[in-house]
Amino acid sequence: MSTKRRRAAKLPKLKRRVFLPAAVGVAAAGITTLALLPRAGAAQSNNPSNLGNFGYTGSYIYGGTQNKGGGAVTYEKLNPASIPYGKSLFVENCSSCHGSEAQGTTRAPNLQGLGAATIDFWVSTGRMPLADPTVQAVQKPPRFSRSQTLAIDAYVSSLAPGGPAIPNVNLSLASLAEGESLFSTNCAACHTITGAGDALASGVFAPSLMAATSTQAAEAVRTGPGNMPRFGPNTLTDQQVADIVKYVKYLQAPNDRGGIAIGHVGPVTEGFVGIIIGLGTVMLAGLWIGGRAK
Amino acid sequence: MITQTADWFDERLGIAKFTRKSLNKIFPDHWSFMLGEIAMYSFIVLLFTGVFLTLFFVPSSKEIIYHGAYKPLDGHKVSEAYASTLNLSFSVRAGLVMRQMHHWAANVFIAAIVVHVCRIFFTGAFRKPREINWVIGTLLLILAIVNGFLGYSLPDDLISGTGIRIAFSIVLSVPVVGSYLAFFLFGGNFPGDSIIPRFYSLHILIIPALIAGLLGAHLAVMWHQKHTQYKGKGKSERNVVGVAMWPAYALQAGGFFFLTAAVIAILGGLVQINPIWLYGQYIPYKVSYAVQPDWYMGWLDGALRLMPSWEIVGFGHMIPTIFFPAVLLPGLTFTALALWPFIEKKITKDNAEHNLLDNPRDVPWRTSVGVGVLAFYVVLFFASSTDVLANSFQLSLNFVLWGFRILLFVVPPIAAFVAYKVAKEAGSVPGAGRRKRANVILRTAEGAYYTEKTAPRSPQHEEEIAEELPEEVEYHSLHGHSDDDLVTSAAPTGPSGPSGSPSHAGVDVGPLPSGGSGIFRIPRVRRSAMPETGGEQIGGIGDRG
Repeated sequence: MSTKRRRAAKLPKLKRRVFLPAAVGVAAAGITTLALLPRAGAAQSNNPSNLGNFGYTGSYIYGGTQNKGGGAVTYEKLNPASIPYGKSLFVENCSSCHGSEAQGTTRAPNLQGLGAATIDFWVSTGRMPLADPTVQAVQKPPRFSRSQTLAIDAYVSSLAPGGPAIPNVNLSLASLAEGESLFSTNCAACHTITGAGDALASGVFAPSLMAATSTQAAEAVRTGPGNMPRFGPNTLTDQQVADIVKYVKYLQAPNDRGGIAIGHVGPVTEGFVGIIIGLGTVMLAGLWIGGRAK
Repeated sequence: MITQTADWFDERLGIAKFTRKSLNKIFPDHWSFMLGEIAMYSFIVLLFTGVFLTLFFVPSSKEIIYHGAYKPLDGHKVSEAYASTLNLSFSVRAGLVMRQMHHWAANVFIAAIVVHVCRIFFTGAFRKPREINWVIGTLLLILAIVNGFLGYSLPDDLISGTGIRIAFSIVLSVPVVGSYLAFFLFGGNFPGDSIIPRFYSLHILIIPALIAGLLGAHLAVMWHQKHTQYKGKGKSERNVVGVAMWPAYALQAGGFFFLTAAVIAILGGLVQINPIWLYGQYIPYKVSYAVQPDWYMGWLDGALRLMPSWEIVGFGHMIPTIFFPAVLLPGLTFTALALWPFIEKKITKDNAEHNLLDNPRDVPWRTSVGVGVLAFYVVLFFASSTDVLANSFQLSLNFVLWGFRILLFVVPPIAAFVAYKVAKEAGSVPGAGRRKRANVILRTAEGAYYTEKTAPRSPQHEEEIAEELPEEVEYHSLHGHSDDDLVTSAAPTGPSGPSGSPSHAGVDVGPLPSGGSGIFRIPRVRRSAMPETGGEQIGGIGDRG
C-alpha cells in the first residue's frame, strides 16, 4: 500500500522535471522563429538578391555615354546603337499587349513618350512582362539582363520624345536627415514610415521598399508607377529625390538597436510577441511551479 | 538580538499576533491563481523601470534642434520629449533596455490582467462575497489601459502622435460637451503644448498612485475574505486547503516574481519594441500608414475601423460616427463588466456565499455568455490590424474590412453556442473532473496482449496516509507529536503529500481542528450564521470578522 502511494506521489515530480526544459524550449523556439522571420514585405519581393546589384552599375555598360552633370542625380544617355536589339526584344516580349510600335492596345497602355525611366522601372523590377493586367503588378526576378533592359528602354524612348530619362543617384551627395524629413512627408502615408509597405483600398497596395535599388526608387518617384503619384521636377528637385533615395536605402538596413526587429510594422507584431511569448512564457512558468488539478 | 528587536516592536505595535497569523495564512495552490500575480509582478517591474526612465525623460513639447547620436534626424526640429527619448535609446547607458523592458512589461501587465479577469469570470470567483473585489479589479483594468495609452504617447513620435490625434477627436465626438471637454483636457486646440506635461503627470504620478492604492485594496480584501479554491477532496465552502504563507507560498511567489521579471528582461533585451527613431518626430501634417495602438487598445481601434460612417442628427446636434465605437462601446463594456456580479445575481437569484469555484462546465450558460462576449472583443481586436492582415495575406483591404464586419456578428453567437454545447457535454460525462485511471496492457504466457481497465480510484484510496519520511520520524521523536496533530500544510506537491514540517517547529499554531488527513482545515465565517468573533477561531489563521 505505502509503496504504491509513493509511486503515485513521484509521478507529478517527474512531470515537473520535464516541464522546465519544455518551457525554456518553447520560449527559445519562439525567439528563434522571430529571428528567422524575413523582413516585412519580403513576401512581395520574391528574390531581393537577384535585384540588388545591377541597377546602378548598369550605367557603366555604355562607358562615356553617362551624363556627368555633377549633381546628386545624373541622367543616363542611352546608346542609339542598341535600338534595333531593343526593338527585337520588344516585339518578342511586349508587343502582344502594347502593340508593335508601343502604341497601346485594349489590353495595355500606350508607351510612346513616357520616357526611358518609366520603361526601365517596370522592366527592371520584373513587373513587366505581366501575366494578368487586372491585378497590381508585383516585383519579381526580372526577365531581362541589364543590357537587354537598357536596349528596350532605348527603343521605346526613341519612338517619341518626352518623359524622364533613367536617373542615377550619387548617394554620397545626398543628405540622410533631409531624406527622412521628405520621406515622412511624402512617402510614409502609403509606404509606412519604415518602408514596409501596406495594403491600400480595393486590392491596391503600396509595395515594400526593401528590395528597391537607388535607380528604381528614383524612377518610381519621378514616374509614379501604378497608383503612386508622380513627383515631377517642380515638386521635388533632383537633390530632394536623391535625399529620399538615400533614406530609402537606409531603411533597407536601418539602425536596429534593441534586438530583433519584428517586422517594422509597429504594435501588431509587438502585441503578438507580448501576449504569446511574454505572457505565454510566464504562464508556463506558473504552470510549472504552481499546483495542478487534483 | 533579533528577538529583542522583534520584542521592541511588538511591545509598541503588537505585531506579533498579526505576523504569526500572516505567516500561517493558507493559500490554495493552483497555477491559475497565479495569473493575478503575473500582473502584480509586471507592475513592480513597471515601477522600477519607470523610475529609471523619469531620470532621463524631459516632459516638454518645447522644440529644439536635435544634434544627438542618431544621425538620420540630425538637425531636425524635435520636441524635448522626443529628443530625450532618443537620448535614452542611444546615449544613456542601459537606457534602451530599460525603455524596452518598461514597454514589454506594460504589454504583459495588461495581458495578465485580462487573463486573470477571464479566470475569475469563468470560475465564478466574483460571486458573493467578492463583488467588491471584482469592481476594484475592473477599475484596475481601466486604469491600466488608460495609463498604457498615456505612456505610449509620451515619446511624441509619429505613431503615438497620431494616436493622440485620434484621442482628441474621440473626446470631441461627445455630444454637447465634447469641444469643451477636449479643450479642457488638452489645454486648447490640438496639438498645443500642454499634452506631454499633462500626460506625464497623469502617467507617472496620479494613475500609478491610483493603481497602487487599488491594488493594495484588492489584495487586502482578498486577504480578508480568503482565497477561493477549486472543488476537490477535503475542500469545502468553509475551509481553505493549500500551502502556508511561510515558507512554501512566500518562496513560490518570490520565485515567480523573478521568473516574470526574467521573461520581461529577456524580451526587453532581445526583442525590439517601438523603435521611435525610425518613426520620427510627430508633426501634425505627417502621417504614417499602418498606425496601430498598443494591443490593449486594439479592440477600440478595431471598432473605429469597422464602424460605418453614420452620422445621426437630432435636436440640432450631430452625433459623430466615432462616438459610438470610441465612447459608447467602452462605456458600455466597462459598465457591464463592473456590474456583472450584480447582473448575474439578478438572473440566478443566488444570494449565498461561494468560496468554492465553479468549473466552467458546471455553469454552461455563464461560460457561454463569457465566450460569446470574449469572441466579440477578439474579433474587434483582430480588426485593428485590417491593413496588416490584408497586406500579409495579399487580400483586398475592403474585403478584410467587410469580412470583419460580418465576423463581428457571426462569430460571437457561434462561439457562445459551441461553448454552451461543449460545457453541457463535458459536464454530463460520468466521472467528469475525476482523475483518469490507466489502462494496463498485459501479456499472457502465450504472447497475446490484452487490456485491463483498472478501477477508478476511490475516495478512501486517495486519502491514504503516506509513509513517513526519515526526517518526519526524527521530528516526531524529538517533539513527541503524532501525525494527527502535526500541521501538514502541504508542500507544493499537494495537500496530502508530506510537507516540510520541521519548519513549523517554532511556530505555535494554536489549537487546530483535527484535519483528518493532515489538511489544514479552516472554517469559514458565514456572516449571517456566525458571531462577529467567529473568524478568530480559525486555528490562528482567520482574520477578524
